Amino acid sequence: MTELASIGQYESGKGTGAEPSARPFWRLGYHSRVSLWGFAFVLPTLIFFAVFKYGPMLWAIELSFTSYDMVSSPQFVGLDNYRTLLSDPIFRETLLNTFYYIAGSTVLLTVSGLGLALAINTGIPGARHCMMVMFLTNLMPIIAVCLVWRLLLHPYGVVNQILQPLGFGRIDWLTNSATAMPAIIMVTVWRFAPYFMVVFLAALLALPDDYYEAAELDGAGPIRRFCHITLPLLMPTIFFVVVVSALLCARIFLMPYLITGGGPGNATRVLSMLIYETGFSYLKMGQAAAISVVLFAIMLVFTTLQMRLFSRSERIYA
Amino acid sequence: MASLDIDTPRPSALRQYWPGTRKAIGLMLLAALAFGFIIPILWMTVMSFQAGEKMFQLRTEWIPSVWHFENYPNAWSRAPFGQYFLNSGIVSLAVMVGNVVFCTLAGYGLAKFRFPGSGFVLLLILSTLMLPLEVTLVPTFLVIHKFGWINTYQGIVSPLLIDAFGVFLMRQSMITIPKDYLEAARIDGAGEIRILLQIIVPQCWPALSVLAIFSFRDSWDQYLWPLTVVSSDALRTFPLGLVQFGEDYGNPPTEQMVIAVLATVPVFLLFAVLQRSINRGFGLSGLK
Repeated sequence: MTELASIGQYESGKGTGAEPSARPFWRLGYHSRVSLWGFAFVLPTLIFFAVFKYGPMLWAIELSFTSYDMVSSPQFVGLDNYRTLLSDPIFRETLLNTFYYIAGSTVLLTVSGLGLALAINTGIPGARHCMMVMFLTNLMPIIAVCLVWRLLLHPYGVVNQILQPLGFGRIDWLTNSATAMPAIIMVTVWRFAPYFMVVFLAALLALPDDYYEAAELDGAGPIRRFCHITLPLLMPTIFFVVVVSALLCARIFLMPYLITGGGPGNATRVLSMLIYETGFSYLKMGQAAAISVVLFAIMLVFTTLQMRLFSRSERIYA
Repeated sequence: MASLDIDTPRPSALRQYWPGTRKAIGLMLLAALAFGFIIPILWMTVMSFQAGEKMFQLRTEWIPSVWHFENYPNAWSRAPFGQYFLNSGIVSLAVMVGNVVFCTLAGYGLAKFRFPGSGFVLLLILSTLMLPLEVTLVPTFLVIHKFGWINTYQGIVSPLLIDAFGVFLMRQSMITIPKDYLEAARIDGAGEIRILLQIIVPQCWPALSVLAIFSFRDSWDQYLWPLTVVSSDALRTFPLGLVQFGEDYGNPPTEQMVIAVLATVPVFLLFAVLQRSINRGFGLSGLK
């Protein structure tokens, strides 16, 4: 860790500071030649993102002010698409569902990811193997995850078989609008918690040992050590996990699409599903673009948070 | 009490055996937890060998009384799954190679070079994390439509070719490589490409493995984009085929599980091959 930090200092310390300020002109040429290479390495990625990310997003903003069905050319309609969205009860419900899903999944993912990482980090022999086994859920194709869980959550499925002896009745997970979203959140946690476990574990392993030794000498028990050392030191990682999982959940499509199809009613319809349906089932491209802009705004909030975190963690880690 | 010798505590039975017992209990709890996690995977595997009518019994039959191995050839022959898997394989390998190549290049450029605006370029690249395909679905479709790439492999592959997460992962793994190595190589007359291939890449295997498996998994999984851009049966990837399979034919769900198992195997295999390297690379994903 200290080694890492010192290299980072070398990196971020304005690079060429050690060199004499009055360089001969051919040295300058050498340096700009090297930086030109650096730019050349990044250029393909920048061009790619211009074509497939920034360009489309700008186009989406433009389209959101038009009515476009891919047959006739786009008609400018001003703010009509947004007005329609505001007065559309399905859109409002979908927006609320998306927030519900993001909030529920993010909280549970963060807590369970941290819990699993702490369990792995106890120094128990074989813990590493248990971690690798759990990580398999993160590798299983989501498409298979959805098909399997749809059957597991069936009224006679395995989930109810496990819960019934514990005193739960037979729960109609996917056909009851009160339990459908929690069920999808549960599947999300099952699938992604092991990933965040790995993220937390990496952070836990990087914590300096001496704090713990000192605390133990002073007689602090495991709970106090956790609350007063681990938790404060992990704050940047926790914040990072919250933002990343929120970004991940904001764009979720496949799980509600395949497990419940957005139902019952609209109970599990989320924004990305609405974009697909509006754009490609009803061919209202302008309207779909307007929903994209709303989803983009949500992602923008979380990304801004992440950028802040990133510029801070650059100082901490790099 | 006063005679208690702090420096050399008397080894009580509890003290002597407690650490071992604690570890054994801990391991059992952890193993139970890990087992709980993979129950759905086990269930999927078992059900792929079950008789169709046993799927929705009140008690799941965890060990089939009769193993229906014929489920596999039966399911496979009901739809052109060979073609679907081939399509998915082509797409996923192309996406994986694209990510490995371009993310390595861009990561190297951002980690080891200072050029005017390099900090801004990094932010620009990271900002695409808020522009996933779900957000830009409609215009990306229109871009591909303009290129005339609807119903083509390049149409499926191209929007997935580079992911900002991969660029960042590679940058983070390269930033710790001392710059002296590069300067020394430059003084010895090595070209920039050669430095990248012979000095940087060999030190980045863990990050490259993580990048490879994640990009393979994500494109292998990709459903929404092929659904949008592909309409001809010959270009369907297996996720499209699998969902279609469940909806169209009213097939026994056991055979869906067969395809689900077959879909899971390639990712697990890749994981097994890269496991040693990934195990070391996991440390990096925490710094992303």
